[in-house]
Amino acid sequence: MIQRLLPFATLIVLFVTLCFVPNFLSETNLSSVIRQTAVINIMALGMTMVIITGGIDLSVGAILAMGGLIGTMAMEKGQPILAGVAVGILTGAFCGFVNGYLTTKLKINSFIVTLGTLGIIRGLTLVISNGLPVHQIPPSFSFLGEGTVLGVPFVLWVLAVCGVLVHFILEHTKLGRYSFAIGSNPDAAFYAGIPVAFHMTAIYAICGALTGLAGMIEASRLMTGQPTAGQGYELQAIAAVVIGGGSLRGGEGSVVGTLVGAFIMGLLSNGSDLLGISPYWQQAIIGAIIIFAVSVDELRKRSSV
Amino acid sequence: MKGPNPFNRGMNVGRDDKFWHCGLEASIDYVVSMLLELKSVQKRFGGVTALRDGNLSVCEGEVHLLMGENGAGKSTLMKIVAGMQGLDGGQMLFRGQPITFANPKEAAASGIAMVHQESLLAPHLSVGENIFLGREEMSGFGIVKRAAMMERAAKLIETHGFPLQAQWRVDRLSPAGRQLVEICRAIANGTSLLIFDEPTSSLSESETKEVFTIVSKLKDKGAGVIYITHRLEELRTVGDRVTVLRDGATVHSGQLKDLSRAQLIQHMVGRDLGALYSRQPITPGPPLLQLKNLNRGKILRNINLTVKAGEIVGLAGLMGAGRTELCRAIFGIDALDSGSVEVDSKPLALKSPRDAVDAGIALIPEDRQKTGLATQLSVGWNLTLSCLTAHSRFGILESAKLTATEKKYIDRLRIKTDGPAQKSVRLSGGNQQKIVIAKWVAQGARVFLFDEPTRGIDVGAKTEVFEVMDSLARDGAAILMVSSELTELIQVADRILVMRQGKISGELPGRTTQEEIMALAAFEEESPS
Repeated sequence: MIQRLLPFATLIVLFVTLCFVPNFLSETNLSSVIRQTAVINIMALGMTMVIITGGIDLSVGAILAMGGLIGTMAMEKGQPILAGVAVGILTGAFCGFVNGYLTTKLKINSFIVTLGTLGIIRGLTLVISNGLPVHQIPPSFSFLGEGTVLGVPFVLWVLAVCGVLVHFILEHTKLGRYSFAIGSNPDAAFYAGIPVAFHMTAIYAICGALTGLAGMIEASRLMTGQPTAGQGYELQAIAAVVIGGGSLRGGEGSVVGTLVGAFIMGLLSNGSDLLGISPYWQQAIIGAIIIFAVSVDELRKRSSV
Repeated sequence: MKGPNPFNRGMNVGRDDKFWHCGLEASIDYVVSMLLELKSVQKRFGGVTALRDGNLSVCEGEVHLLMGENGAGKSTLMKIVAGMQGLDGGQMLFRGQPITFANPKEAAASGIAMVHQESLLAPHLSVGENIFLGREEMSGFGIVKRAAMMERAAKLIETHGFPLQAQWRVDRLSPAGRQLVEICRAIANGTSLLIFDEPTSSLSESETKEVFTIVSKLKDKGAGVIYITHRLEELRTVGDRVTVLRDGATVHSGQLKDLSRAQLIQHMVGRDLGALYSRQPITPGPPLLQLKNLNRGKILRNINLTVKAGEIVGLAGLMGAGRTELCRAIFGIDALDSGSVEVDSKPLALKSPRDAVDAGIALIPEDRQKTGLATQLSVGWNLTLSCLTAHSRFGILESAKLTATEKKYIDRLRIKTDGPAQKSVRLSGGNQQKIVIAKWVAQGARVFLFDEPTRGIDVGAKTEVFEVMDSLARDGAAILMVSSELTELIQVADRILVMRQGKISGELPGRTTQEEIMALAAFEEESPS
């Protein structure tokens, strides 16, 4: 139990420690931490679902770029902002659907499938955009990434809604229950008469949709549709899930854990920035944290069986 | 039996102590050397006590059976002997000297080896490489002498007449083949004490005989053998003495020939089971499951059978006769070449288990851990996994209804658990099996395919499983029961169908004899003795 709470405790200790760092508690800094981590957070929510089914999605960074690009292109072509955001989300959902379809129909390991689609989606994004970012975006689109509602960054509201939604799916729907069963033992799920392929595909599509939304937030913060956006984000999303107690063997993971994991990484990088620690070191520190978090989790599991 | 032993140190041979003497009286009048003694061994895992008072002694040249229900502590005790686990209390003596092993390698250095129940082989390596894994012969510079090693492996296989080749890859072998590799591995470097953990559960009859031959060879060479088994029938032929564990303590130790089967069972379960399970058949209703001319390659050939409502039909046959394959086909896992599966006289289009489940068919598979349960999930989640659609509205689960269903079936099947939230992996084999059955009862299935329903579960739980099957039949279910334990089929089934080489070779009434079943099950060219 103590070890299960470790990510939580780490987050609190980290936060309290950082309170002694000048400027940390300023409104500008805190809201910038939230804005920075929101994108990874929302992607990590989708990744949590995929990892619970025992899969992995390496293509989310590419999907983020594709979603952001197509969504902003729709706005550039004169579509209203909401329609543009919807286009971005749907683009992501479609990419996720393709991932799920290939994984279940071809029965290829999701690591390989999404390694392939990572390249395909990234390449297609560059082809579609000709490698150039989209700039003609309505100015009010910046509200998504930079706006404030009731004194709180708008992205935090978006994140909260997504978090509640994914938590609800995992804990209170058939899809969620099936995800845990599939991740825990795919053969037993199949023998129980669960339509495994259908539900797996749905999970990848939802992960894609959330990533498409994250892509629109990223585009809104940059106020451009960047075809090269989101490089390496997939690893950060996976790291957040794993630090939060998700198991790459499937069958384990939670929304709360993932959010805690993502905020730990966000606070670490913000704190290092404030303390003037080089970003080179930051990478090494976060890498070490991942290994530490997983080894603690493994110890917990071994001692409990 | 054999000459005086050079290792005899004349220790601890008090003939009156029931745990210490080797009891090979009459036939010998010299003292037999004590190989291994365990005295009041204790072992805890966290808060759970696996062993309270484990006592066991093995002499040279003795085959010692270790029996007990699942969870009685047999495997734990043997893992301590083989150096895989330490002990928390008590004492282990090897050749009279107190000893502890930090790891299996140290145990192996003393000549103790264990043949594991589950395969611990490297699947991508060859048979020969697996036999010598971790103790390869090296020339200088750490280079493995591969040719010499393979030759030794080949010789070893040949000596014992196993159907193996040293260069075969292990992942292409059947479970039985892997078991034989495990045995080769254990005996390759010469052992003084060999432990078999349920060696014959995955073996065919001829392979089982081969294992017994090896056991008696080892015995003749003066090695000690500890043999864990669930199968009462096969014991008489191999064992000298038996030790029975119950709830982590040794409750009986003595000569096997002095014990009747009923006495053994009584020691194991700690209560008198009375007569073996027997069932009152009921008048069957209309045909529920009908198979018409099923064909699938050479595995299933022209299968016709009918199971009526309220009927339990047994399916006997040797390994590879196609019984599991028939269940898989009925359940929509493997596609048929031709023929039809009908429920309530309606032909089914079976493309996946989903279709079979929708038609009311349930499969309780032979490998519970692999295909029956998601063992890391809770009892409740496993129990309701197949009936979530009936417990949800627009995909949203109705938790109150789910909780009620979980409770209802835990009570109805008397599943022993701390509650629906307990992880399934913590339950005993019998209770896990009951979860699998409960899952289908909760789902509303009417046709039940039981594939080896009592595999790996203890004597007491077997009877409970039979009672559940009986009550399902009384509620109008049609049951097809595959089992390799002929006595079980005779006890439980109304009729017994026998399969041979993918065909149904005959039908027998429920109260038949094992001999009649075997006559139909065995290959013509290998007529039963």
